[in-house]
Amino acid sequence: MALLARRGKPATTQGAARAADRSKLFDEGFLKKLEYLHMVSRKVFTGNLRAERRTRKVGSGIEFADHRTYARGDDFRYIDWNVYGRIDKLLLRLFEEEEDLHIYILVDCSDSMAIGNPLPKMHYAMQLGAALTYVGLANLDRVAILPFSDRLLGRLPPARGKNRIFRVFEFLRQCEIGGRTQLADCMKTFVAQNKRRGLAVIISDFYDPKGFEDGINTLRYNRFEPFVLQTYDLREASPTLHGDLALVDCETGELKEVTISRALLEAYHREHEKYCKDLELFCTARAVPFFRTHTQIPFDELVLKIFRSGGFLR
Amino acid sequence: MNFPTPIPLQTLGYAAAGAAGLTIVAYILKIRRRRFEVPFSTLWQRVLEQRDANALWKQLKRLLSLLLMFLLFALIFVAALDPTEGGRPREARTVVVLVDASASMKATDGDPDGGNVPRIEVAKQRARDLIDSMGGADVAMIMRVDGQTTPLSRFDSDAPMLRRTIDHIQASDTPADLYRALGAAADALRDRQNPLIVLISDGAYTEQQLEAATFDPAAATVDPTAPAEGAPAAAPAPAADDEVAARRKAYEHKNLAAVDLSGIDVRYIPVGSRSDNVGIIAFNVRRYVANKAAYEVFIEIQNFGTEPAQRQLTLYSGDSALDVKPITLAPGEHIRQIYRDLSGGADHRLRASLRPVEGVGGSDPFPLDDEAFALLPERKRQKVLLVTEDNLFLEGAMLVYDNIEVFKVTPAEYTARPDALLEGMNVVVFDDFTPAEVPPPPVNAMYFRPEGDGSPIPVVRTVARPHITEVAEDHPVMRWVSLADVNFADAQAFKLRPELGESRLATAVRDVVIAAKRLEGRKIVCFGFSLGGTDLTMRVAFPLMLVNVLDWFAGDDADLVTTYVTGARLRVPLDGVTGVAEAVVEGPDGRLTRAPVVDGVATFYGAEIGFHDIRAYAPGEGPLGRRDDAAAAGATADADADQAEPIASREIAANLASPEESNIAPASTLTLGGPTGRTLAAPQTFTKSIQRRFWIYLLLGLLALLSVEWITYHRRVTV
Repeated sequence: MALLARRGKPATTQGAARAADRSKLFDEGFLKKLEYLHMVSRKVFTGNLRAERRTRKVGSGIEFADHRTYARGDDFRYIDWNVYGRIDKLLLRLFEEEEDLHIYILVDCSDSMAIGNPLPKMHYAMQLGAALTYVGLANLDRVAILPFSDRLLGRLPPARGKNRIFRVFEFLRQCEIGGRTQLADCMKTFVAQNKRRGLAVIISDFYDPKGFEDGINTLRYNRFEPFVLQTYDLREASPTLHGDLALVDCETGELKEVTISRALLEAYHREHEKYCKDLELFCTARAVPFFRTHTQIPFDELVLKIFRSGGFLR
Repeated sequence: MNFPTPIPLQTLGYAAAGAAGLTIVAYILKIRRRRFEVPFSTLWQRVLEQRDANALWKQLKRLLSLLLMFLLFALIFVAALDPTEGGRPREARTVVVLVDASASMKATDGDPDGGNVPRIEVAKQRARDLIDSMGGADVAMIMRVDGQTTPLSRFDSDAPMLRRTIDHIQASDTPADLYRALGAAADALRDRQNPLIVLISDGAYTEQQLEAATFDPAAATVDPTAPAEGAPAAAPAPAADDEVAARRKAYEHKNLAAVDLSGIDVRYIPVGSRSDNVGIIAFNVRRYVANKAAYEVFIEIQNFGTEPAQRQLTLYSGDSALDVKPITLAPGEHIRQIYRDLSGGADHRLRASLRPVEGVGGSDPFPLDDEAFALLPERKRQKVLLVTEDNLFLEGAMLVYDNIEVFKVTPAEYTARPDALLEGMNVVVFDDFTPAEVPPPPVNAMYFRPEGDGSPIPVVRTVARPHITEVAEDHPVMRWVSLADVNFADAQAFKLRPELGESRLATAVRDVVIAAKRLEGRKIVCFGFSLGGTDLTMRVAFPLMLVNVLDWFAGDDADLVTTYVTGARLRVPLDGVTGVAEAVVEGPDGRLTRAPVVDGVATFYGAEIGFHDIRAYAPGEGPLGRRDDAAAAGATADADADQAEPIASREIAANLASPEESNIAPASTLTLGGPTGRTLAAPQTFTKSIQRRFWIYLLLGLLALLSVEWITYHRRVTV
């Protein structure tokens, strides 16, 4: 029985216990950082109108967006006859549709996110998610938060206005955590439950044995705009292990006996790097914004980096 | 390549098999691993799958690990076998070096240039030279030869150790026992390669010792129970007599006591150069039986040289010279000198000394036999208090003993003031009177017919008309005394308590009628009969017995006091000592040793000439205390612990008294085994052989392998 118990999922670990304690996650200092981020976002991106986030959706707006070649069945009313007069080509005028932007913050709360030092990746992800939520709320976007692991662990409905941030904090403090990472299943559930398209920010380590591709593709195929933030811990990228060990997967409880050598550690480091690169390549190849960060980088730095690169705030 | 391991190969084989088994078990056993939680084991799985592509190398590394373990154990195993290259060449020998350390080796003629170098020093130098000439494969054992044979080392090729062993050899005062030495050497060399005995000596041995060796294996290995040579195995009955006769004949021609030296090369290195020794070969003294105040001394002196010798013979009593006499001896002459009617002298210790005088043959290279020691039986005049109501028999008997002074009192006078009367007395005699208390020490007491509670030995009953049936003839009191057909009207029967030192002297069937006792340093004799009720007083035995009692009280011994010889086990009777298991012997040099006491006789090995004092203490007392008090062993006589009074003591004198040892003429050659034996030659130079032993290199290799394994493991090369 003891052997079976060892083979199964391990009991609550120290990391999981640490991750469960989220009482000091959003303290006074955190709030100051959020305010600072909001100020910066307004300073850098002045000129943006309230509730005027433009989607990529081309529709019945009033602001010209682009031309495209006329195709059979297009509405004649949108043919730019001036252009036809000048260059003798039928081009269709496209207008940008203006609507409230929905931002979905998907935070990975699986067991693997409970690992990390000095703070668990989950806490880092929650702080990051809360920061992005605050910026979104302040910009009058509708922001929803959805923690997930092997399923959606809850849902904070879309809301607007930065005074809602405290509900966000409360939700993140109280939400259920734990479980395996099953990105694809969670994303399927997500797209099924949320018909209003929008920006889907996934904050996760993407340690899914079934792969990350299906999950991201599910968002893409359902016309959500995935925004990938991968967090990892430096120690899991370059572990400082030695000796003969029994490695236990914190999510599956799978046991692997290894004798750690320098060559093995180097091979693992390469494999981890390759995994992250694969994720990055997958995202960039599909024009999905991708950011990778480790928990040693302060979350506000990452948010600023996100601001500068665009994609989240435009 | 040789494997001269002291461990049996079979044992090593078992050990190797066990080690191999343990290695395999340790190889199979899995280690208990530390658990470590990882967020995503898939990555580790991928890494391990890549490594599994190198599974053959991985397996090979595990196999290498096992092979390495086997290699390590193999190195240990081979090192334990002590592999040796160069081996033991045929010239390599197993040598027993017999260094003669007998008395004659103290002769100071060792230096051929005329210096006073003892022979023993020259013998030690010869032995060291011999050790220095040994090859790497030669092994030697050093044995010291005197009255005993003492192996001083094991067989070893360690020359410095053997040299140190030789350095500590000292000559003793005992004759050499060559027979025992050759026997011990032959036993030590049994079944060894190229056995060799090297005897370094002056050759002062008796013909009997030299003949008691044989080089003929058949002479010493005849089985007297086996059929005679040439006789049929199962002879018919009529031939049995012939067979027995043949066997007897063959048996009679064998020297079964000879030391079997067959197959052993025996060599001899002589030392010494002079033979002009004059020595005392006998020295004894005794008192006259009739006049114990006088004594006579016997000295025998022999000139062993080939030149006439002049000496001055001095006889000492203690440190006082009693007589000085010049003597001249012709070559080989021995004279017997008797000093008659000597008396006086300050000490009971006598010493005879020969001193060289100026002139021809005036020097003496062997001083050990120029001195001899003897003990004069001690005499002292005793004051005897006779407590009696006029007993003419007793008083008359006292008159025959001229070494006592008798004071006579009546029992009433004694009872009135016993302490005053006993003052200064040595002996008190109670005739038909028993005082209430036994006289205090050191007054010895003689009781005739004691009775009541005052009797020092409890009286159990009165026996009517007893007849003496048994007498303790070995007791000094009953010596030369016959009590056969003596009539007694009656006698008291005593109940003996051996634990209190009481012993029987005469018994009538089962009743002890004469008993002796040692009590608190005094001696008591109880006669159960009254002198008025026996015809013993009319017999010669009575005054004799009375004198014996007084002599026993005084500790005198009218007998010749035996002078003991060194080199033998000395048996010294301790007067009437019972219940004591060992005695303390104080040698001439003041050293204390233990001597077991059996039936009142102390036994010890006499190794030194001079006076020895043997003392018996009550159990647990004495300067050496209990046997388990090892720290006290070897203490000297002036130790603080020497406070207890001995219950008995005896002094003896030990002399060399060995004409064979005094005859220091060195033998340039020795012939062992009699006329048909072999003349011993000088040893040949040892053939040097280089011997290389590899166990240290194997262990160094083992350490190197372990280091490589340790480094590669911790550098994660071999994991």
